[in-house]
Amino acid sequence: MSETGIGATVLRREDRRFISGRGNYVDDVNRPGQVYAHFVRSPHAHADVKSIDTTAAAAADGVVAVLTGADVAADGLGGLPVGWGITSQDGSPMIEPPWPIIAQDRVRYVGEAVAVVIAATRNQAKDAAELVAVDYNPLPAIISTQDSIKDGVPQVWDDAKHNICFDWGFGDADATNDAFAKASHVTTVDLVNQRLIPNAIEPRSSVADFDSSTGEMTLWCTSQGPHAVRLLLGAFVLQQPEHKFRVVSPDVGGGFGSKIYPYAEYATCCWAARRLGVPVKWTAERSESFLTDAHGRDHITKAELALDGDGRFLGLRVSTIANMGAYLSAFAPLIPTYLYATLFAGQYTTPAIFAEVKAVFTNTTPVDAYRGAGRPEATFMLERLIDAAAKEVGVDPVDIRRRNFIAPEAFPYQTPVALLYDSGNYGAALDKALELSDYAGFEARRKASEAAGKLRGIGISTPIEATGAAPSAIAGQLGARAGLYESAEIRFNATGNVTVFSGSHSHGQGHATSFAQVVSDKLGVPYENIEIVEGDTGRVQMGMGTFGSRSLSVGGSAIVKASEKIIEKGKKIAAHLLEASVDDIEFSGGNFAVKGTDKSVNIAEVAFTAYVPHNYPHFTGDPEADKNALEPGLDEQAFFDPLNFNFPYGAYVCEVEVDPDTGVTEVARFTAIDDVGNVINPMIVHGQIQGGVVQGIGQALLENGVYDQGSGQLLSGSYMDYTMPRADNVPNIDSDLTITPCPMNPLGVKGCGEMGTIGSPPAVINAIIDALSGYGVRHLDMPATPQRVWSAIREARPAA
Amino acid sequence: MEIKGEYRIPAPRETVWQALNDADVLRECIPGCESLEKVSDTELTATVKAKVGPVSAKFSGAVTLEDLNPPESYRIAGEGKGGVAGFAKGGAVVHLADDGGETILTYEADAKVGGKIAQIGSRLIQGTARKLADQFFRNFAEKVAPGSTQGENAA
Amino acid sequence: MTSTVSLTVNGKAVSAEVEPRTLLVQLLREILGLTGTHVGCDTSQCGACVVHVNGTSLKSCTMLAVQAEGADVTTIEGLADGDTLHPMQQAFHENHGLQCGFCTPGMIMSAIDLAKRNPDPSEKEIREWLEGNLCRCTGYHNIVKSIKAGAQAMNA
Repeated sequence: MSETGIGATVLRREDRRFISGRGNYVDDVNRPGQVYAHFVRSPHAHADVKSIDTTAAAAADGVVAVLTGADVAADGLGGLPVGWGITSQDGSPMIEPPWPIIAQDRVRYVGEAVAVVIAATRNQAKDAAELVAVDYNPLPAIISTQDSIKDGVPQVWDDAKHNICFDWGFGDADATNDAFAKASHVTTVDLVNQRLIPNAIEPRSSVADFDSSTGEMTLWCTSQGPHAVRLLLGAFVLQQPEHKFRVVSPDVGGGFGSKIYPYAEYATCCWAARRLGVPVKWTAERSESFLTDAHGRDHITKAELALDGDGRFLGLRVSTIANMGAYLSAFAPLIPTYLYATLFAGQYTTPAIFAEVKAVFTNTTPVDAYRGAGRPEATFMLERLIDAAAKEVGVDPVDIRRRNFIAPEAFPYQTPVALLYDSGNYGAALDKALELSDYAGFEARRKASEAAGKLRGIGISTPIEATGAAPSAIAGQLGARAGLYESAEIRFNATGNVTVFSGSHSHGQGHATSFAQVVSDKLGVPYENIEIVEGDTGRVQMGMGTFGSRSLSVGGSAIVKASEKIIEKGKKIAAHLLEASVDDIEFSGGNFAVKGTDKSVNIAEVAFTAYVPHNYPHFTGDPEADKNALEPGLDEQAFFDPLNFNFPYGAYVCEVEVDPDTGVTEVARFTAIDDVGNVINPMIVHGQIQGGVVQGIGQALLENGVYDQGSGQLLSGSYMDYTMPRADNVPNIDSDLTITPCPMNPLGVKGCGEMGTIGSPPAVINAIIDALSGYGVRHLDMPATPQRVWSAIREARPAA
Repeated sequence: MEIKGEYRIPAPRETVWQALNDADVLRECIPGCESLEKVSDTELTATVKAKVGPVSAKFSGAVTLEDLNPPESYRIAGEGKGGVAGFAKGGAVVHLADDGGETILTYEADAKVGGKIAQIGSRLIQGTARKLADQFFRNFAEKVAPGSTQGENAA
Repeated sequence: MTSTVSLTVNGKAVSAEVEPRTLLVQLLREILGLTGTHVGCDTSQCGACVVHVNGTSLKSCTMLAVQAEGADVTTIEGLADGDTLHPMQQAFHENHGLQCGFCTPGMIMSAIDLAKRNPDPSEKEIREWLEGNLCRCTGYHNIVKSIKAGAQAMNA
């Protein structure tokens, strides 16, 4: 292993600009003559917009324009598109309501834009927004996920009876019912997977610049996938042709899913720039981010597990209501369906599984993929259910998992919920987690806590994930309206250095470092001679972007494929230079050599020859040979469409200490063992896992998107009320890896970006329930706030 | 949200009732009131400046007097728009009881807010509403019978 | 209505015309073009905008530009000595104390102030000090490690 190749801990090359204040985020982008947009947003969760008087705002200092939904309609702009369609159990398509970029006639959630003020300065736009007089007729609102399908509640959309967007079924209902009929024990849990608000620390932002002389639009926006933004906004909303539309996402300050989508504000900036002939800039204030960034989770679930007399799982039946919010965000329908129920087998051999999911509309901010997206909900359900079952049948939580693990020799393993697992050794990861967490020493630590008046508990979860969504052909059959491949181009420059163009887009994951390690390893080019370019449709050929932990397994594999093409072309040039047959050329460590000789040529010389082709094959007179004459240049492009998902998995152990007097829970120790296949840069992988685990601890203990149930006001709408994990809320994370290479891609890698967030919430809650087991507490909803824990203790404590 | 209070005002009930219907008195007693104009006997327009936690805004809107039962009780209700800060509405049922030539005023108030003021200040709304209601009735009692609120406290 | 504010930023005397409501962070980012200082919230909670004012860390969204009259302000851009990084910057790099980089300038500015007050802070002291700086990427693990190393390097 070289110091900069695959497997090496290479310090990140992107750090220098970030630690020096020279990052280039969208709000740092300024265009000459730019003006600023400020949105007027609905303070009502549900209301008819009776009238909007823009006169005073339009006359205010510096105001260039005040635009409303009527202007959007008059200009014939399309609505925001949905990228995945779901079919209900009765065969009907999901309800897909229109979503104009500025509300027309009716608003359906607090924060929905009703007008945009565009002015010379930010303050002028904001001041003038105060002067836009909107007359609303407030309507009753439905907020609660649970109540949304009840009779007589307010309806968000006329077409969606009982507020149901779709009612989806998956798995084998008959086989599952049979399994329950012969079960010796059935465990049932009712769970809430609460609404979360992603909160990347960089607020969303966009700057649009339209050149009327060429018809070209350039949009800088905070996006995890600028090509998708270009396609969706260009074709569906703006009618801006793809070849005249450049979308640039420079440095992106975190995304966690929330920056995948083609947001209305980006479209509005483009539209206004085209209409007004000046560049238009908008940056969200955090208050706007809370209201308008796509939220995550928000499920209510009943789950039942059928077991035989030995604690083996016979069947799993799950019924979920998933809140979509007021409109369908781009990938919202996918999250509680194919990214959720397909994970219900977990690491276990459960033979029969059936899931029913009702997706519902409410007068709340739209919900979409947020770190993990469906898989945390699946894992929380399964790992909580298993722990509850273990308690009920009197089996140790470790043992019950081991009894049901898919055996290492059973791969490839077909689950009853569509997925074909490629590889795994689940027992090995659990062994390592128990060892690293000193599981055996827990009892002594528990006693020590007890002596100090604290309740100590330990919890396990053994999560699995499906990452690198694939393949496009199957996804298309399941409702996808986009491909799931990734592209790469490797361009040698004449002087031997390399520019790599990837359709993935880092928003903190360190692609510039990891991808360069891969290229250096594959092509033997010095690491420092390789540049990675991402996030610009004007430079990168095509891309799907970064989501679902796909960048390395899909984007990285495209890079490997392109490097193979480079080697193939290079061999032809080398064969000519070395006067040998192509079949006799071997490539290794950056050199093309003639087999069995000491004759070789470095890839840098080959590149130079490719661009200065003085020593190149010339006219031979043989028509066949002349027709196939070697092309100049050394620049290859590849697309990689994976044949299957990949399946990272792990074993997590959490230890908590609860103060029974205050209900405060402290995460005392957290151990995460992950198997993400081969590792390119261990430092980055561990960083992803640590960050993910803390985000999951945030869900378990702290975070909650709370609406006032009557009025639909977002009550946890700032950092004063939405409790983000802070440094003093969490411990250091002990992370380690087992390595089972993935056979489905040339790097043998699996996704690592979401594992921590998926695996940690059930481990934390299982640990708290364990700590409180002396009081008979069997259930706690997330977030396990001090108040909830304290109340659970009070309610469960037998009257003295 | 339940906000209640009680004041003993050393003045006859009829006097107190008149004051409760007097725009000038209301203007002086509503905390942060910048203007209050009578449109009819039961409808007024007002501009009120208020602050909830970090959000301060000027609300303009209507004040209405409802369920009039002179000289015993009415409901005073207000609804105002505060621009980007959102909206606020609220009211109080006021009851006057005759007690040996003096008047016992009791009230029960409620408040609702929306938009930014709810988003940022939700935790503080109840406390703010309680404070504003108490301040209004204290001002009112003081206005009708100076010195009457010495040592009094809202429930 | 504007007024003139004069101050020293990263060792250089500057003056600018500002509205009374202009925040120090707006002066830095929008008028002086020092975009290394970031804005992550509107309630002074996230800490992305921390700079040093007269040697002490301060959220630059909590100070009006006019209040900085005569002050000596250091931003993330003013830390390195030419090509030589400040020890705290170097420590963040070496310990993978950043991912997306957005919270990083505020983290580094806060960390330096801590290290000046407490040359060898414990993990607990670092975590408590960072109460006012949010990071969504790292889980703080490597930030804590970076600050420990940075403080030691600063005080070596």
